[in-house]
Amino acid sequence: MLFRVDPTSTVPLGDQIAASVRRAVAEGTVAPGERLPAARALAASLGVNVHTVLRGYQRLREEGLIELRRGRGAAITAGASPQRARLLERVREVVADARDLGMTEDELLTLVRNELDA
Amino acid sequence: MTSKNLGRVALAALPFLLALFIDLTLYAAVEDRLPDRLAVHFDAGGSADGFMSLGAYLLFTLPSLLVLGALWAFIAVRGGLHGRADRWFIGGGFAVAAFLGYLLVAVLFVNVDGPEGGPADGLPLWHIAAALAAAALAGALGALLSRSAPLPEDPRRPGPATRERILLADGEVAAWGCGIGAWWAPVAVLVLLAAGVTAGREQSWFIGVPLILFALVTGTFCRPHVTVDRRGLTVSGLLPRPRVRVPLERMEIADSRPVNALAEYGGWGYRIRPERSGVITRSGEAIVVSLTSGREFAVTVADSATGAALLNTLLDRQRAGR
Repeated sequence: MLFRVDPTSTVPLGDQIAASVRRAVAEGTVAPGERLPAARALAASLGVNVHTVLRGYQRLREEGLIELRRGRGAAITAGASPQRARLLERVREVVADARDLGMTEDELLTLVRNELDA
Repeated sequence: MTSKNLGRVALAALPFLLALFIDLTLYAAVEDRLPDRLAVHFDAGGSADGFMSLGAYLLFTLPSLLVLGALWAFIAVRGGLHGRADRWFIGGGFAVAAFLGYLLVAVLFVNVDGPEGGPADGLPLWHIAAALAAAALAGALGALLSRSAPLPEDPRRPGPATRERILLADGEVAAWGCGIGAWWAPVAVLVLLAAGVTAGREQSWFIGVPLILFALVTGTFCRPHVTVDRRGLTVSGLLPRPRVRVPLERMEIADSRPVNALAEYGGWGYRIRPERSGVITRSGEAIVVSLTSGREFAVTVADSATGAALLNTLLDRQRAGR
């Protein structure tokens, strides 16, 4: 799995790490059950703080792409399909676009809810 | 299997079949003069200390040539040997077949007309020297014959390797990692541990303890992880140490290509050979790094193309002084 972070970018480093994993799942280069590198090792590889890596992993866990087990590290979940990863990417784009348009959280949620009810 | 391959397989099995044929012919010649009970095992001085019935000897000992012949044929098919390794392999087969074939029949002959119709008292030691001489002669003959059969092509010389790069923005940092677990590693550790404990209890803990320590070190490498990053190529186990790391400074270029564990590295595990070393868990795709020292370092790993591409990208960047 290829991890890449650009310290000059405005995107937080933890999010960039999460994006690397999401992209790998979307492209199908990692399969469910595959383990992610230990946070400490990845932090040393990329030259970032270990908490930054853990923030990225936490984010992936909230998205349901990885599971974190104490002492066993992080692994891709059984439900992490390329389709799901691509859907997550699109959700992020929608949220970013809505923010650019100056929409409030409620306005965006209403739009999504209307689409769901339709 | 191609016809070319078939020739080499036949050549690998040939000496064993020949030895069996000669032994059976010689046996038929002396069959009537053999006792029912043969001396088949001899101590260091050549005196007989082990006995077997004639029937059992024929049933269990001579077929060992067939088993070895099948083993040699199997390696010829699956081993992927080439070049000098193949010549040694064929020559070695002839030597083993001659040595074994000679001794098997020598045992029969010393028992011919044994004292009072019983087994022989011993095996004159010059038979060992004669067997070794026969092995050397046959080995040389095998090596010569192997020149006549077409050599298998060297799998290490593929076409021009494609060396891709990964596009990185200025200042962007990248790392690539992949696990290389092998199913046999935990088995090997358990076997080593068992051997260590057994050796310690039965023989001496001076043998057992080093074996157990070796098993534990191997154990930390049960699920190794390969990392490519700004520090180079690293293979690490469960613990931070021990690990194998090749820094970027020592690399020329990285390739992704298939390697053959047996033919190129002589086996599996952490291999060190005259021209190359590597962490080899299987035959198949690998990151192969050409080092500035002229040697090669290989790691068998899935998605090796991405790992090699990142290594080349990092090497470019380092040479550009960034």
